[in-house]
Amino acid sequence: MKILMIAILIGIIGIMSIYSSTYQNQIRLWRMQIIWLFLGIVSFLFFLHYDYRRFWDITYFLYVAVIILLWLVLILGSVRLGAQRWLRVAWFNLQPSELAKLIIVIFLSRYFSKKSALDIGLLSSKFGILRAIVIPFLFVAFPVGLIIEQPDLGSGVIMIVIFLGMLYLADIRLKYIFIFLFLIIFSLPFCWHFLRDYQKARLMVFLNPNADPLGAGYTLLQSKIAIGSGGFWGRGWLLGTQSQLRFLPESHTDFIFATFAEERGLLGSVALLILYYFLIREGLLIAQRTQEQFGRLLAGGISFMLGIQVSINIAMTMGLVPIVGLPLPLFSYGGSSMVVTFIALGILANIEKRRAVF
Amino acid sequence: MRIKFVRISVIFIFLFLGSNLLYLEIFRGREFRHKSFKNRIRLLPQEGCRGKILDRNNHPIVDNELSYDVFILPQDSSAQTQKLLQEISRVLQRPIQDLNIALKSQFVAPFAPILLVNDIEIRQAIMLEELKTDFPGIIVQTRVKRHYPFGRLASHLIGYLGEIDPWRLKKLADYGYKSKDIVGFSGIEEKYDYYLRQEEGGLSIEVDHRGRFVRVVGYRPPKNGKDIQLTIDLRLQKIVEEIMRDRIGSVIIMEPGQGEILAMASFPNFNPAIFIKKSNSLLKDILHHPEAPLLNRAISGTYPAGSIFKLVVAIAALETEKLDLKRRFFCSGKMQIGKQEFSCWDVHNDENLQEAISHSCNIFFYHTGLLLGGQLIHDWGLQLGFYKPTGIDLPYEASGFVPSPLWRSLFRLRNWSAGDTANLSIGQAELLVTPLQVCRMMAILANQGKLVTPHVVKSIAGKEILWPEKRIIGIHLKKKTLDYLRQGLRRVVMDKDGTAHNLSSLSVSVAGKTGTAQVAAGAPHGWFAGFFPYKDPKFVLCVFLEHGGSGYAASSLAKQIIEKMLQEGLIES
Repeated sequence: MKILMIAILIGIIGIMSIYSSTYQNQIRLWRMQIIWLFLGIVSFLFFLHYDYRRFWDITYFLYVAVIILLWLVLILGSVRLGAQRWLRVAWFNLQPSELAKLIIVIFLSRYFSKKSALDIGLLSSKFGILRAIVIPFLFVAFPVGLIIEQPDLGSGVIMIVIFLGMLYLADIRLKYIFIFLFLIIFSLPFCWHFLRDYQKARLMVFLNPNADPLGAGYTLLQSKIAIGSGGFWGRGWLLGTQSQLRFLPESHTDFIFATFAEERGLLGSVALLILYYFLIREGLLIAQRTQEQFGRLLAGGISFMLGIQVSINIAMTMGLVPIVGLPLPLFSYGGSSMVVTFIALGILANIEKRRAVF
Repeated sequence: MRIKFVRISVIFIFLFLGSNLLYLEIFRGREFRHKSFKNRIRLLPQEGCRGKILDRNNHPIVDNELSYDVFILPQDSSAQTQKLLQEISRVLQRPIQDLNIALKSQFVAPFAPILLVNDIEIRQAIMLEELKTDFPGIIVQTRVKRHYPFGRLASHLIGYLGEIDPWRLKKLADYGYKSKDIVGFSGIEEKYDYYLRQEEGGLSIEVDHRGRFVRVVGYRPPKNGKDIQLTIDLRLQKIVEEIMRDRIGSVIIMEPGQGEILAMASFPNFNPAIFIKKSNSLLKDILHHPEAPLLNRAISGTYPAGSIFKLVVAIAALETEKLDLKRRFFCSGKMQIGKQEFSCWDVHNDENLQEAISHSCNIFFYHTGLLLGGQLIHDWGLQLGFYKPTGIDLPYEASGFVPSPLWRSLFRLRNWSAGDTANLSIGQAELLVTPLQVCRMMAILANQGKLVTPHVVKSIAGKEILWPEKRIIGIHLKKKTLDYLRQGLRRVVMDKDGTAHNLSSLSVSVAGKTGTAQVAAGAPHGWFAGFFPYKDPKFVLCVFLEHGGSGYAASSLAKQIIEKMLQEGLIES
């Protein structure tokens, strides 16, 4: 229940920030976000009572379903902001890449939690390189490829990072993980050629933020100005000029942290960081307490997924990592991210509940 | 346990993020807050009006008018912009290529307005403003512009406006002048720039990310410059310029008692408006014109004085009592001085000083000059206001030159000879005077011996100015000298063989002196300086014609001017 309380609190703060940065618009996005929050809570409660071990059985079905969704995005997705990331379903837009992250976590948890007949420990620690890295990577690479093709480099990279995290949590030999890491690093120069121009520009801006202050560097510059001008106390709710006057692009989605930091200052943003920290710590503690392998990996993976998204998003608004299209979970505007995050937290809560049953 | 390691890593990552927040929001907070301020605040400068220049009856000589400039914001799509350019070219009837060139050459950023055409007519401005409903990117901006209702009238007196040059900027930076300021060049515009200039005010407004207006944050009203009232009488100035037209030279009309300049013209003149429009070809014409139209001949041009200078010799001779009133000389048309033969322009036979002035006899003044000697003539020349600026409140006044024996031996390495004295006595030699100096000297005879400081500014912003520079120096001439010479000047006009007899037909009594100054090349300069009415002089007039041929030409021009003044009832009889 602690998890739900923290998540709802973050969600409400998020709605206030969304209200602040969009209340001048025609569309009442904050009202939509309230609906998403409500739907999120409902999904949380549903998955709180849904035995997570049933995922074991439907893992492959989920995997295939998400592949189909990603493929559908490519052929009939709606193009927005230069990217094709959404599927129009009934009255809302579904972003399957959000779902894909969770499903990859479930898939990998199942893959790595095969029990050995002789031993209580994880079999995966004794895997050879083929079973430890190559086969699961192929399974991950397929949806990642589809996501990068959208193009959504951010989600793609996040999934690779989640894969790495899962490898680590699954007790795969460090030697293999490092080999994999080196292979990725060495292939980066070749990947450069496959990047689109705007992605190259973003990377260049990360390396030299003053290179193009009116073009690619604009967003980062405005984001840093927004955060920096917050000071200790912040400029006050609805008084952040960077977002109110729309100097800051994406002020209610990817860069909402900058909006929040401008209006609430150091005090507010550190408080938000602490809330996120408690949420992630809670997830990791659940993983630590869980003895059952699938549940343990699942809880660790979900916490890892959450932590990596929060840190990369916040770091990106401060120019510490390159800008990628990535929402701040529970906080940014967006239904898919909100509902998927609540589902993930519901699963987490369920794992904790089941553990108590034993 | 790996999971424990992950938990610890999370703590470190969040501490790292927190410390970065601390750095951005606290240590660099001030810097970013300033940047955020700069992001959203724009200053819209608002110009005040430069002070007007009025004549003595408060009729404007120079004022201001609104001009209209067309700007466009290139942020719209290029197809839309092309459509807009077509509309503008239709309204202004200018080829669209010109507009395209202006657009391309000045493009900075989509949000920065581009000046397409400046100074359009009000009718066109209204038509373009109406386009705004379809094309929000068009901006018609008003600007206050100097307006010269009489065109070239009094152009030297007024001066012109232009962008400040490095030399002036260096000199004036301490007084709040900035680069790109518009300042006065020459004339009243320069001399009184500090009073005339307006103070910039402005609006600070908050804008959004596309530079669109959100709200007004602050406002400081611009301050207009102070109006300057001149001593010039617009009616007189018009008469003078009307008659002077197409000649080269200058005319000054001054009030003798205080030294108020009533009219001052120099020809050729120029149109001050072309300096505002910055049409290069016209500017080049003016700057390379062989007749130097920018030179204010009345105060900055120096010329040999010719016979006008005989008055100085006469005053000196009478005051030093080197010459008796009854003394007569005989003019046979020529005279031997040293080894050289000097001649007169006619044969005047036996004559006294008054007659010699009336005839402008050279021989008489050779004799007088020789009685005085070069040094005394030089000294009296200085006393009567030559060889130094008169102190008029206009810039770039010349001081002229009066040669002296000492100067000759120092700088020409020659001794002063009797021939030099003779030449100086009739206003030749190296003597150089400005028309204003001549005018002031004539005023001494009109106002009973006072050396006035000529001035053109009567009041600033309604306040009469009484500064010490306007002082009047008494030179204490004997009453006898003054009366005698005044009679002589009257006889110049009244005598049948007086050099300005043509003025005798006027219904106002004029006294004066003509001068024909020989020059090294070209026709001689013509001078006429005089005052009227004779009994109680209200006007001192000085006409100077550069290469005008003779003093007669100058006096006939003076006649036309006085006739016109009488016609318009400007002279109370």
